[in-house]
Amino acid sequence: MADSTGSAAPKPSSSVKLVLLGEAAVGKSSLVMRFVNNDFQENKEPTIGAAFLTQKCNLPTRTIKFEIWDTAGQERFASLAPMYYRNAQAALVVYDITKASSLTKAQHWVAELQRQASPGIVIALVGNKLDLVNAGGAGESEDDTDGVPDEEGDSDARKVPTKTAKAYADEESLLFFETSAKTGLNVAEVFTAIANAIPETQLKGPRGVGGQTTLGSGGQQQDASRVNLAGAGTAGAKEGCAC
Amino acid sequence: METLNNTAWDVLIAGTGLQQSLLALALSRSGKKVLHIDKNRHYGGAEAAFSLQEAESWAQELTQGDLNLPFHNAAIEQPSLPTEDDDGPKLSFSRAYSLALAPQIIYTRSALLPVLLSTKVYRQLEFLAVGSWWLYTPASPPDTNPEVSDSARGEDATLASKGCLTRIPSGREDVFADQSLDIRSKRALMKFLRFVADYENQPEIWEAHRQAPFPEFLSIQFKLPAASHNMLLALTLSPSAPLETTTESALPRIARHLRSIGLFGPGFGAVIPKWGGLAEIAQVSCRAGAVGGGTYVLGKRVTKIEVKSECANVASDTDISPSQAFDTVLAGEDGVDVVSAACIVGSDEDLPSASTSSQDAQQSARRSISIISSRLESLFPPLAEGAPAPAGAVVVFPAGSLSDGGAESATDSPVHILMHTSDTGECPDGQSVLYASMTAPGAAGFALLDRAVLELLHCVGEEPSPTVLWSLRYEQSQSALDTPASASSSEGRILRFPQSSLDLAFDDGMLERVKKIWQEIVGSDAGEFMKFGEQGNGGGEEEDDEEA
Repeated sequence: MADSTGSAAPKPSSSVKLVLLGEAAVGKSSLVMRFVNNDFQENKEPTIGAAFLTQKCNLPTRTIKFEIWDTAGQERFASLAPMYYRNAQAALVVYDITKASSLTKAQHWVAELQRQASPGIVIALVGNKLDLVNAGGAGESEDDTDGVPDEEGDSDARKVPTKTAKAYADEESLLFFETSAKTGLNVAEVFTAIANAIPETQLKGPRGVGGQTTLGSGGQQQDASRVNLAGAGTAGAKEGCAC
Repeated sequence: METLNNTAWDVLIAGTGLQQSLLALALSRSGKKVLHIDKNRHYGGAEAAFSLQEAESWAQELTQGDLNLPFHNAAIEQPSLPTEDDDGPKLSFSRAYSLALAPQIIYTRSALLPVLLSTKVYRQLEFLAVGSWWLYTPASPPDTNPEVSDSARGEDATLASKGCLTRIPSGREDVFADQSLDIRSKRALMKFLRFVADYENQPEIWEAHRQAPFPEFLSIQFKLPAASHNMLLALTLSPSAPLETTTESALPRIARHLRSIGLFGPGFGAVIPKWGGLAEIAQVSCRAGAVGGGTYVLGKRVTKIEVKSECANVASDTDISPSQAFDTVLAGEDGVDVVSAACIVGSDEDLPSASTSSQDAQQSARRSISIISSRLESLFPPLAEGAPAPAGAVVVFPAGSLSDGGAESATDSPVHILMHTSDTGECPDGQSVLYASMTAPGAAGFALLDRAVLELLHCVGEEPSPTVLWSLRYEQSQSALDTPASASSSEGRILRFPQSSLDLAFDDGMLERVKKIWQEIVGSDAGEFMKFGEQGNGGGEEEDDEEA
């Protein structure tokens, strides 16, 4: 990430909740680790750990602070709760380009997002593990061998042709990338593209991960009505309580 | 999809109601391998929150009768709407709603809130303030003087009569400013409020009245006029008839109310979680449990539990041996799995029933959920300077106040309505949700709920008059059994939670039960209950704005 902090003029900054989806072991968490910590672990254990990670993304005119929510393994048995999708403004749906069934699964998750998430959600479809297929064959040259999985230029490892996934992404108006969490190829680009795709009108202040359709003055009222649990006891407690 | 078949677990938890979800969270951080399942396709168990469609299929399924559930007799009413080109108020789309089956307010002094803080899960929750408390007074023949509310009982107020709602003072200053009370009542009330703030240390005043009806205690000990009894009874949120509300049950409830006011900000003493109340806390707990390593599977039901013969007697050992004690058969749409677990936890509705003991001695409540075509703004006045905008309100219809003259015993219990604004995320802007409940048996109970909702809408006096766009009614029962029936040794380590409380305020007893079961499973080296370090769970990294 081109993180150019220190530039004098403070840019407007907003929080964006981003949820990860995709079959187990396609590299969802690895993508996030690459983006957040610029790190990669081979043979990473299935996800447990933090509820979400944060990372900033600096755009020319504004700063987007991603709150990245991992599935915490709840995708394994399709047991994600509505609270997971709630107010998500962006989603990263990941598949493994060396595993054809993972794209089918990704399509299922896209459908689930369209059912469960806010209407305006920005969805990026990401084919990961690009490092496992031969360099040079990154899928640009398959024009004439439509739909054939094993094309010239691509190694035997690739099971999902770029064109197939791209066509699907275009059809559903999804952003589309092929990445390698291992080498870092295209990872920052995915997040920058998402940041750019989120309409300015959807953005809120640094706190308040908002994003659900703002009906009337609803948005403002919500902030005004929030009770801060962590601030207990500090503010003038004890009223009403006689004595 | 992966399979569960032949997997082994330390603990199998059935049902994702709040108590199970909190337990799963606690266990996931105590190094236990937890499999948490729910027979439903949704989270929340008896505390679930539904979209309109989900509510409709839930009601539908209930009519097909799963007798094991705490819910019965569900029915949905959707008044036939005017034609399409009409500009009148309309229901929004199904998912614009998140309706809570068992709404509860959470007093700011509740032990639940510190747990949500110490587990960090509060960071994924939003809490809103419960604002005003209202007391309904029926119109009485001479005039609508609130002083006579008690005597209005049984009199033949006509059905269309317009009662009124008066705001219940929320503290001594409010009492002082209250115009409806005469000076003598005020003095008596002040004296009572002073007493209740420290009632534990003044047993001489109330010990003798422990089992006596609370109104009697108020009359005898504090000379409080009958007119003020309803107000104090309202603060107890007691579902029982006044004469069945004992002094010993009422005092702690009123004290809880008064002591909670101001703790998190001026003017309110209770909060509600956004997006469907306890359902949201259950979901967030389950997610945190997953983050802590728990495995979650919906749509799986425990159909059979068999004790493995070779280790049938591990029960008394606090340190669960890795050898598994039970073979459990789980059934779902995708087939049947057999998993083994050293310990199984669930409530009666989630486990194959061991006994029918819960059938007798049940309490039950009639409940209704109504979507209203108005914000009902006048019932959510600003609380105080610097206070959050209230998103909840409580309306209490005292026992008998809705009676139309018939001497039905049903009318002897009060009706409570919890009102939620669209700020709760439970309905779209411009509408509100009314959760009504009462304990009267039979169809008369439902009739009173309807009556209460209509009276409330009358009292608001809005033009055009707000209407009910959609409503759901159902019955919910609770086994009288209050303690966790942690299974006898013959059953091995099968631990059972009681059914969810019918209470309208979160009952800290639930946390005690969760803690007890957690201790039983984890053993003596359990450490501190629900105290998690900064690392890992809950909210991820907190704000790091300073570097921006």
